[in-house]
Amino acid sequence: MIQEKKSPFPFKKIAVAIGFTPRIEAVLAESYRLQQLFGGDLIFIHIGEKSLQQEQYLKHLLHRFELDGPNNKLIWEQGDPVDQIISICEIEQVDLLVAGALVKESVLKYILGGIARNLCRKAKCSVLMLREPDIISKPIKHIVVEGSDHPKTETTIETAINVAKATHAEHVYVIQEEDAGKMALIRSESINSNESETRKEQVVSEEVTRLNEILAFTDCGTLQVTTERLEGKPGYVITKFAREHHADLLVLNSPDTKLNIIDRVFPHDIEFALADLPCDLLIVHSTKPEIE
Amino acid sequence: MTHSEIINLFLALGIMLLLGRIIGEFFRKLKMPLVVGELVAGIILGPSLLGKFLPVANQLVFTTNGNLGMVINGIGSISVVMLLFVAGMEVELSVIRQQGKTAFKASFVGLIIPLILGFGTAYFYHDLLGGTAGKDVVVFALFMGTAMAISALPIIARTLMDLNLFKTKVGMIIIAAAMFDDLIGWILFSVVLGMINTGSDPFHFLYTLGYTLLYAILMLTGGRIIINKTLPWAQRNLSWPGGVLAFSLGLAFLGAAFTEKIGIHAIFGAFIAGIAVGDSVHFTEKARDIIHQFVTNIFAPLFFVAIGFKIDFIQNFDLQLVSIVLILAIVCKLLGAGLGAYWGGLTAKESMAVGFGMNARGAMEIVLGLLALQAGVITAPLFVALVIMAVVTSIMAGPMLQYFLTGEIKVATGLKEIIPFIDEEKASE
Repeated sequence: MIQEKKSPFPFKKIAVAIGFTPRIEAVLAESYRLQQLFGGDLIFIHIGEKSLQQEQYLKHLLHRFELDGPNNKLIWEQGDPVDQIISICEIEQVDLLVAGALVKESVLKYILGGIARNLCRKAKCSVLMLREPDIISKPIKHIVVEGSDHPKTETTIETAINVAKATHAEHVYVIQEEDAGKMALIRSESINSNESETRKEQVVSEEVTRLNEILAFTDCGTLQVTTERLEGKPGYVITKFAREHHADLLVLNSPDTKLNIIDRVFPHDIEFALADLPCDLLIVHSTKPEIE
Repeated sequence: MTHSEIINLFLALGIMLLLGRIIGEFFRKLKMPLVVGELVAGIILGPSLLGKFLPVANQLVFTTNGNLGMVINGIGSISVVMLLFVAGMEVELSVIRQQGKTAFKASFVGLIIPLILGFGTAYFYHDLLGGTAGKDVVVFALFMGTAMAISALPIIARTLMDLNLFKTKVGMIIIAAAMFDDLIGWILFSVVLGMINTGSDPFHFLYTLGYTLLYAILMLTGGRIIINKTLPWAQRNLSWPGGVLAFSLGLAFLGAAFTEKIGIHAIFGAFIAGIAVGDSVHFTEKARDIIHQFVTNIFAPLFFVAIGFKIDFIQNFDLQLVSIVLILAIVCKLLGAGLGAYWGGLTAKESMAVGFGMNARGAMEIVLGLLALQAGVITAPLFVALVIMAVVTSIMAGPMLQYFLTGEIKVATGLKEIIPFIDEEKASE
């Protein structure tokens, strides 16, 4: 029997994409903390030519950060970094892929697509993009999560709440975005202002009810959960909110379609967050249906 | 203008707005688009009725001749630019992108089949469609193809809302597909208008097409980024809402002037400017609403009522032509959008719903037809047939969508209010 799609939490298998960059130590320090928080096995993936020197350096780092335990492994492959990492994640049935990324890339690099951001766009598992990985631990206090009227939202909220509990976060903001364009379109043929308001209220009421139902069925424990409804372009509004509220983690639904260069030229949804990361970004993919 | 002409102008504008609104509201109660009432007001005030019974009043006040006519025509040109700007604001490029393959297939096939059928019918049987009005047959055929391909986004959105289908999978597919068809449809129509003076000469065709695409690409990439950066400045430094209104409509007119200058029709500049402004993350719902209300309640009625001054609808009514255009339009969209949706993975019933949803042509078809009439591409009887087709396809969209998605057709509530015995009949059944 095929079960409904479910939250990827708890992250039983966490893959970490690593490269020999100045931030490699910070990424490994973050990986250690993630393993402490979430448990699970770690898979370190590096795509590039193997040299004895690099191999020894990496082993040394893994040992230094206590990441060379029996449950962790290192996969070293060659080829296109994005395709290879995604393929390994699929084979290994990874629940969460972690990658470090710059806050903002140059326009050209953003349009052409950098490795970390392309992993977010193409990965079929959940992705955690670390904006400023650091050796020193930073607590996650504020989490902002997408509460849009979408079938994926339930899983995304459930995952965000579980992450918040595991990281002892203080506050979770659930943001419902009111698409200004669609609202205007709905009201465009109803000239009577009462009718126009009724139409808007009808849509808002349906969306709020659905979100409240999701929250009612999610065990939030003692977490402080606030819902807010903001008007604007989906993706942009929530990113702006996360930035203004100094959020530590932004949690979004995974994209519905494969994103390509057109989505960067005409950005929507997660592309607004990827263009200028407001904080760490978690993109939630449901786990595959299980067959009993 | 003389003193009496100024009086007549204000008299005309006042009566056009009032009568358009009153009759429009009557038709709205019948769940028909407001534009139907505005067209009827124009028919009453124009040569079709007032011109026959009170020709002096018609010639003095509701005319398209002389200084007064020039001003009314000028207002018509401003209105059409604004209407296209608003139509552009409704096109959301991200919605088209998000809806994936099904929407793309529905829109692509929904565009190609009407284009081919419309073009083919007009090219081979142009006499059946009232002739080419003396223009190149290729230009005429291209126009008919475009006229068959276009959809009425606001009417589709309203119908879907009425049926509580707006946010469903089928609803969003219809919206995305209609947006895509409108975008491509207006690009094509701009090319057709550009070819009017040059004919179907391949060099000029490519020249116009190239400029049209170049303008669209530049505006939707670089132009959009500049607007996105400038709009917050306008909102911060200019008074609200006047500043944003002036900024947005100023861009519409500048875009219109630019495209007119480079040989593409002014409407295209405004349409693309509308997409670029509407796509900005800083363009608020309130700003959209204000512009929308301003254009649809002031300029749109003047434009649609004035159509009645230009054409004698009764004299130019040709039942055979109306039937051909209507059947052609319905077949084109049902085959095109329906097959596209079916190809995209929807069920047969859902595909029919998509076909009927996208079949609504609404006010934009009338704008398209009038521009073609003014440019001398089509004859007056064909224009009248296009207007009737636009109205009929818009009215039938709701009930047919409902029938194919829920299996029933309800009597419009507005109709019950006006014709109470409908309910009594239902009760006695």
